[in-house]
Amino acid sequence: MSKSKNVLVALAFLAPAILAVSILRIWPALVAVHESLLAPRATTYSLDNYIYIFTDPIFQSSVVTTLFFSIVVNPLQIAVALGLAILLNNKLPGTGFWRTLILLPVAIPASVSAVVWAAALRPDGLANAMLAVFGIGPQPFLTSPQQALACIILVTSWIGVGYWMTILLAGLQDIPKSLYEAARIDGMNRGQQFRFVTLPQLRRPLTFVLVADTVANFLVFAPVQILTRGGPQRSTNLIMHEIYTRAFATGDKSSAYAATVVLILLMLTVVAIQFRMMGDQGDKA
Amino acid sequence: MTSIVKTALAAAMAAALSSVSAAAVMAQDVTLTLISAEQDAVVAPVIAAFEAKYPNIKVQHQSIPFESMNATIEARIGGQDSSIDVMFVDSPRVPAMVSRGYLKSLEDLRGEIEPLVTPVALDALSVNGTIYTLPLWTSTQMMFYNKDLLDKAGIPYPGSNAEDRLTYQQIVDLSKKAQAAGAKYGFTFEQVDRYYQLQPIFESVGAGSGLTGEGNLTASITNDNWVKGAQFYSSLFADGIAPRGVPVGQIPPLFSNGEVAFFVGGPWRLDGFQKAEGLKFGVAPVPYFEGGKPVTPTGSWALAVSPYSAHPDEAMLLAKFMTLDPEGAFKTVEANPIPPVNLKAFDIYIDWFAAKFEGVGEDAKKIMTYELRDTAISRPLSAGYVAFEEVMNRVFGDLRNGADVVPTLQDAERELNSTLSRIQ
Repeated sequence: MSKSKNVLVALAFLAPAILAVSILRIWPALVAVHESLLAPRATTYSLDNYIYIFTDPIFQSSVVTTLFFSIVVNPLQIAVALGLAILLNNKLPGTGFWRTLILLPVAIPASVSAVVWAAALRPDGLANAMLAVFGIGPQPFLTSPQQALACIILVTSWIGVGYWMTILLAGLQDIPKSLYEAARIDGMNRGQQFRFVTLPQLRRPLTFVLVADTVANFLVFAPVQILTRGGPQRSTNLIMHEIYTRAFATGDKSSAYAATVVLILLMLTVVAIQFRMMGDQGDKA
Repeated sequence: MTSIVKTALAAAMAAALSSVSAAAVMAQDVTLTLISAEQDAVVAPVIAAFEAKYPNIKVQHQSIPFESMNATIEARIGGQDSSIDVMFVDSPRVPAMVSRGYLKSLEDLRGEIEPLVTPVALDALSVNGTIYTLPLWTSTQMMFYNKDLLDKAGIPYPGSNAEDRLTYQQIVDLSKKAQAAGAKYGFTFEQVDRYYQLQPIFESVGAGSGLTGEGNLTASITNDNWVKGAQFYSSLFADGIAPRGVPVGQIPPLFSNGEVAFFVGGPWRLDGFQKAEGLKFGVAPVPYFEGGKPVTPTGSWALAVSPYSAHPDEAMLLAKFMTLDPEGAFKTVEANPIPPVNLKAFDIYIDWFAAKFEGVGEDAKKIMTYELRDTAISRPLSAGYVAFEEVMNRVFGDLRNGADVVPTLQDAERELNSTLSRIQ
């Protein structure tokens, strides 16, 4: 087969994927960029929408809240997922049962989880009743600007951790046992084995989990909409919720498009940095 | 979007073709599509009555979740979709829909509509004096009280006449008394955090609706009376009289379970409360501010024919049957007992209603009749209403959670004026 024919065959096989990506991803993104450059009722391109949102304290605070949320929630979820994966990778009694229990929230729609948590986190709800057992006084949870974001982090983690754990667990089971044997023969202790065998061997699944989790957490919407609608006092107003409010509640589509473009750029930047940091550094040498 | 339009076109062509071939066999049959945020069962009686009267017209109902109603109208009517014929329209959203060209003037029906509705209702159907929608439903509120909780505290039942109306201060005092005698909560609104039900607090204290100026596009929510109203609302929760942190959907069960002494809610709650086991309750008029005027919220869904309907004449027949024909209008509320706007239909409805709810029906009938006539006040008509409502609902949520009143109102006013300036 000639080279050009090879290219054609490859293209034919890739066509459905390329088509889907173009229609479902690239085209809407281009529309967003186009619309974000048109101020309301304007016919020529300008940066008015961007100037408007960046001078708007509500949008500014939603960016800050989102970044803070990301910095806390991503390492937390990955650490917990990794910890659980290592725990369940050992032969514990009833491992299958525990795995199912941890993975279960993934199978429940995020919106349903949020509704259930909303009831549990009511000031007169289950969470406070359980705290009372340990002698801890009632907490305001979702009604307090100091605690609401932490509650969102708790709920999104409860939903997501089982999923990331599954991927990391698969990665752990792919690590050849012989590497650990060799490490033990060389006299490594548990901590050293984790640092020099487990972590490097887990780099691929960890990269995937890090990037996918970061993206997922940038796009958190349902729990916020259901639990707090961005409140109290905008303490949980993540960018996704801010975009939704602009587009569908206050009907300001042009600034919603601009905010969408900002969100995409922000996400691409963070993900690019993560790829660089997790890239093949020196281990091919 | 383009794919939606294409699909719609294809569907419209298919519908056109099928009606052509059907025409050859029998007299022209038409199928109309009605969209609303109601369940099928709510509109089933009126559709059955309409189809019986016009055997060659079939009506198909599409139920759309309330939260998606705006987006659906935006996408389908905005995309000139001819497959929607008749639609439910939320009254406060009429000006925004008119400004986008989604509603046509109905001035030629003025002679038919005017004698059937109150002037307040007519205003809600119109924008700048032009009628755009047909009168479907309206709403009012009443105060439910739990007889057992009041008995325990030795509080006499409030009367159901307009003269018996209590002030908010009296309600706060009675609530504390009821709570001291064992009630978990003293008083609450059914729709905490929602402008529709809370607007009367501010109108009663003389604060205004919150929107002023040309086209109601300027926010005014920091005047002294707004602060006074907001402080009252906030104090209900700070003092534990009303429940903090309970989602709005979980509030009515608090009353059915006997945990609340006084509860302001709509007549649509009667059915559920009557079925609640062990609940003994009565109804009284909504409270007011001492020195202010009594005010109740009103308004609900109106009806309109889509400007892009493929069968405008048949669609208008259906719309008129559901609103202007007293029997037809009554059929729209038979499975969902809220008041029809059509005054003749209201007469049929209110007697049926009084008989349906044994024990409280007569009191409820009396209250609804004078509230709708004397104290009903519409939500502000403005192209910016949707944005206003969204921001205000969040403000009420923050106040309920204990945010400081003045900074919250100032911040919201600034946000509103910034958002509304993009609509002007």
